[in-house]
Amino acid sequence: MNRLLPILAVVAVNSTTLSAGSQDVLAFVQKNCVACHNSSVKSGDLDLKTLQSAKTFDENRELWEKVADKIKAGQMPPPPIPRPEAATTIAVTHWLEAEFDRQDRMVKPEAGRVTARRLNKAEYNNTIRDLLGIDIHPAERFPADTAAFGFDNISDALNLSPALLENYVDAAERSVRTVLFGPEKLKPSAVHLSAPIRINEVRGQSQLPKDLFNYDYTGLSTRHSAHFLYHFPVNAEYSFRLVLNGHRPNQSEPVHPAFFIDGKMVKEFEVDATDLEGQVIELRTRVTAGEHLLSETYLKNYHGLPPSYKGPEPSKRPPEALISPRGKLTEKDIETLRKYGTKIKTDAIETRVDNRFESLDIGGPFNQAATASPDSLRKIYVCGHAPGKHTGACARPIVASFAGRAFRRPVTSTEVDQFVRFFTLARKQGDSFEEGIAMALHAVLVSPDFLYRIERDRPAPAGSSSAPVGQYELASRLSYFLWSSMPDTELLRAASRGTLRQPAVLEAQVKRMLRDPKAFALVENFAGQWLQFRNIDVVRPDLERFPVFDDGLRLAMRRETELFIENVIRQNGSVLELLDANYTFVNERLARFYGIPGITGPEFRRVDVSNTNRGGGILAQASILTVSSYSTRTSPVLRGKWILENLLNAPPPPPPPGVPPLEENKTGQSATLRQQMEQHRKSPACSSCHSRMDPLGFGLENFNAIGAWRTEDGKNALDVSGSLPDGRSFQTPAQLKALLKDGHDCDAYIRGLTEKLLMYALGRGLERYDRPAVTAIAAKLSSQDYKFSQLVLGIVNSLPFQMRQSHQTSQIASTMGERSK
Amino acid sequence: MFLTGKHLDRRTLLKGVGAAIALPWLDAMRPAMAAPAKLANQARRVAVVYVPNGIVMKDWKPAEVGGEFAFTRILKPLEPFRDDIVVLSGLANNAANKARGGGHAKASGSFLSGTPPKFTAGADVHAGVTFDQLAAKHWGAETRVPSLQLGCEDSRMVGNCDTGSSCAYTNSLSWKDPDTPLPVEVNPRSVFERLFGTVDPSLPAGVRARRAMYRKSILDQTAENTQRLTAGLGPADRRKMDEYLTGIREVEVRIASAEKDPVTPPAEKPSGIPFDYAEYVKLMFNLQAIAFQSDLTRVSTIMLGREGSVRTYPEIGVPDPHHPLTHHRGHPDFIEKVTKINCFHAELFAWFLERLKSTPDGDGSLLDHSAILYGGALSDGNAHSNVDLPLVLAGHAGGIRGGRHVASASNTPVSNLFVHLLNSVGLETERFADSTGQLDLRT
Repeated sequence: MNRLLPILAVVAVNSTTLSAGSQDVLAFVQKNCVACHNSSVKSGDLDLKTLQSAKTFDENRELWEKVADKIKAGQMPPPPIPRPEAATTIAVTHWLEAEFDRQDRMVKPEAGRVTARRLNKAEYNNTIRDLLGIDIHPAERFPADTAAFGFDNISDALNLSPALLENYVDAAERSVRTVLFGPEKLKPSAVHLSAPIRINEVRGQSQLPKDLFNYDYTGLSTRHSAHFLYHFPVNAEYSFRLVLNGHRPNQSEPVHPAFFIDGKMVKEFEVDATDLEGQVIELRTRVTAGEHLLSETYLKNYHGLPPSYKGPEPSKRPPEALISPRGKLTEKDIETLRKYGTKIKTDAIETRVDNRFESLDIGGPFNQAATASPDSLRKIYVCGHAPGKHTGACARPIVASFAGRAFRRPVTSTEVDQFVRFFTLARKQGDSFEEGIAMALHAVLVSPDFLYRIERDRPAPAGSSSAPVGQYELASRLSYFLWSSMPDTELLRAASRGTLRQPAVLEAQVKRMLRDPKAFALVENFAGQWLQFRNIDVVRPDLERFPVFDDGLRLAMRRETELFIENVIRQNGSVLELLDANYTFVNERLARFYGIPGITGPEFRRVDVSNTNRGGGILAQASILTVSSYSTRTSPVLRGKWILENLLNAPPPPPPPGVPPLEENKTGQSATLRQQMEQHRKSPACSSCHSRMDPLGFGLENFNAIGAWRTEDGKNALDVSGSLPDGRSFQTPAQLKALLKDGHDCDAYIRGLTEKLLMYALGRGLERYDRPAVTAIAAKLSSQDYKFSQLVLGIVNSLPFQMRQSHQTSQIASTMGERSK
Repeated sequence: MFLTGKHLDRRTLLKGVGAAIALPWLDAMRPAMAAPAKLANQARRVAVVYVPNGIVMKDWKPAEVGGEFAFTRILKPLEPFRDDIVVLSGLANNAANKARGGGHAKASGSFLSGTPPKFTAGADVHAGVTFDQLAAKHWGAETRVPSLQLGCEDSRMVGNCDTGSSCAYTNSLSWKDPDTPLPVEVNPRSVFERLFGTVDPSLPAGVRARRAMYRKSILDQTAENTQRLTAGLGPADRRKMDEYLTGIREVEVRIASAEKDPVTPPAEKPSGIPFDYAEYVKLMFNLQAIAFQSDLTRVSTIMLGREGSVRTYPEIGVPDPHHPLTHHRGHPDFIEKVTKINCFHAELFAWFLERLKSTPDGDGSLLDHSAILYGGALSDGNAHSNVDLPLVLAGHAGGIRGGRHVASASNTPVSNLFVHLLNSVGLETERFADSTGQLDLRT
């Protein structure tokens, strides 16, 4: 943009007068665009023939924005159609931008109204956690919330089906009973998990690593291990049964299988055999509720091999003439051998090192911890808990305190009465004090005041259409924005004092909240959906092509991105670091996958990546690179589309009707693929989008479909260079990233991020009257080093976040809105 | 023990034999809630089994029309049910052609409603009420659960589902009304609890009854409070509260009906989603069969995958994701793999038919009294084609005559079939959405 300034200054003189300019622009479109974009051809699903009069600039604003965007990016008109003079193009886009600005200045900013927001799955889980002090994820099995604009917290999309309501009623009861009487007692059951066979490559042939001395001694990152992500329902003991498979060379020392939970070794075993098929080892241990990574590995797998393997600590065992599948031949074996000849399996010549795991069986829960947590009980029983010795007078304070926290505001005594009535009912039925409290609490959690965030209408001050939201409502807006959960005591205290809106208090609260571990919710729920890396949990890369991929690596990929973004959020980094950074977070598993030396152990740590090929930023992270690929191969189209949609705020439109989506051929034909796609781009119908998408995707071809670095695809050397429609070009992924951080791409990124975060914060789609707020927040950020906290503060202090449109004005606005459609 | 004329408590029987899922359903156990004679010629159950991303049509569509057709490679698994199925061809989803948006979103977003879905990625999704929901409404309070929406694909995928179209169009098949897509249940455990409730059956009967009473009283009071709360709200908020109240009322009805006619679950509660896809699908089919056989519901839709599904099928030698394979551009390797997936789905459907056929129901089998539509809203996935849809109708509900391939004139709206299905459930109508008549399959 900057380098165009001198020319702009010249043409600006000609385009300041609105009427003259507008006629030129209209004529420009009719001359250069309508040959393809008319009611019969409708390329890109666009008919521009209708753009004949000056009033269309306002009425068809979105269409005009698209026109300006395409012309500015140099995408339109596409070759071979002759291009208009550069100066004319610039004058046209400049005039249009000025016109949009003018319109935006005319738009009266409005606060808008957010419809009552139902707690979505994540918010419900977190709120129950913070309200009751139990982390049981009661909403885990609820049907997925409907998303809109890519987020699942948009109130208008959060429907409530009767089936879902029933889920809420059940979850409320389960949560209350868990906190008052301890976790639900589960019957032990068994689960069988088959290990993916990932070592086909080494099966049947002794393909050992090149360096037998420098390898992962824990075995966690070798192909001989098996990993399972498993969700444990309750704190309890569980039994584990590991079934082994594969072989060790004859004369090897015993193997040492081991079992790890979350990268920490639980138990080591010793098995002395060459044929490991069907060997079983078992253990039993306590596990906390929640998701854990279970790993079966072989410790020091390349130690103790026969001396001929030239590995570390070679076996001292003398060569044996003949051993059976289970070790040394017994008298009985020899007898059998005599009888059946050589049909019995003998492993005298066994040379394979393909020991692996067949499966894992999990049994349990046993000895389940089934008592209520004293901390949680203290939260509920505000006048102290003495089982069997409660006085009836305590019921009311207990219910009142709970309802206030659950409703995130002070409750009236009429409201409390209604809930105390349930307590009384249960007591009359002969139930205990605790059962009575359980019923009252259950009723509180079913109430719409808990399940929805309902904001009251307040009269707007004279001369304004909006009123500030209440102090408690503001506290909830903040906490559900930054924590996806209820406000904590400190926020509620500030609300009750009426000081929360004071700039200094608000800023201090926001900064405190961002530092709090609960701000991780922004990583999971905002970034996870914005950048779609949540999908890493469900993708299934083809194991034959990518045998190195397993749940251990999957988890490591997810953790890297989570830690990276959490670092930006909680350490107040710049949002530009997401595009490019000189650091990332890895553990041994991921470091080995990335080829970063010198990292051992399962813990993640920050590493400098400035001198690596991969570089940093999310475009160098395996999670993002995997979710934007197919299971068998990369797709430059998919990755390009991903960048346009999520980073450059320019989602490509659907392909024009009748044209099948451009698809590449099989992997290993990259050179042809490129040519094929270049051919394809010659078609004007395809080129406008693909000339933008494809080069971006090709620029990331150094990363394979699970994000590993490569320099060739199949037999072909990779060509990762490309040029963008505006003429800028790059040779490496690093250069591509540098381009994204620069000029109008950077502006588009900041604006897109601002829009998405504002939408997420408000729980509604953005309207035209929100544009001034977005523009102001985005513009200010560049002078604030793009700090994440400043972006959040910009949003928190914005009109739509602070205020709510009053009822009557909103009705007028909505009827006007309908008329203008 | 006398069995004459009285219905036998299922629990009494189950005590003796253990809780086997495929327990033969003795007619004596049928609760006296439905009179079979009255229903003999009506479709007592309607289900749709949906497969995504189109079908390899050359290996699907039989060459011959009428009774003497040969089973093609993909339809082969259904051959044992020759007399129970009608292969349909020529039907088109014309509504999808009229819509804007991604090819997959348009297809599943309009399939059962015959209405073009609005092109949006936002909250203002809009399509049409689907025919299955009209049937569910028709039966209304006669069953405990008006209808089931099941899915066999994780709905955790986020982002744009199909080039700018809302995920609602690919995540849901059934729409309660033009603005309300019904979410699918993907966890077998949740399906089970929806059918049989969550109350721990091991609790003493007195405690269970008291808990149910408490729950009813909580819901009553909550409904009252909500009405009071609603009075002070603006229109949009009021709509939210209305939706909430409707939910409360439906749950109340369900509890009341469960009290009146308790049904003991005929199987163990599933623990979660099985890892193996075939096992997963069979479990969901089985729950559907259980719901039908206990008359807990009469309407269900199940998606074996969503449109645009990228599920891989390494267990049948297809490690590649489904959707990109279907854009094969004539590549024989790709086509072969898609065909394998098509066959696999058909085999699983055959399992479901077997399950229904081997379950006695009144004067016949469950399959005799059901109308099960199998297929998808796309024919050729490569071209996102909405014409000549791959469809099979199984069962004899309402007197459907099986054993043939019925070819309709090309571009006949698939809504004509839905008119027939609505009539066979007793909802007399001449029209549904963009129908031009009725595809009568009785004669």
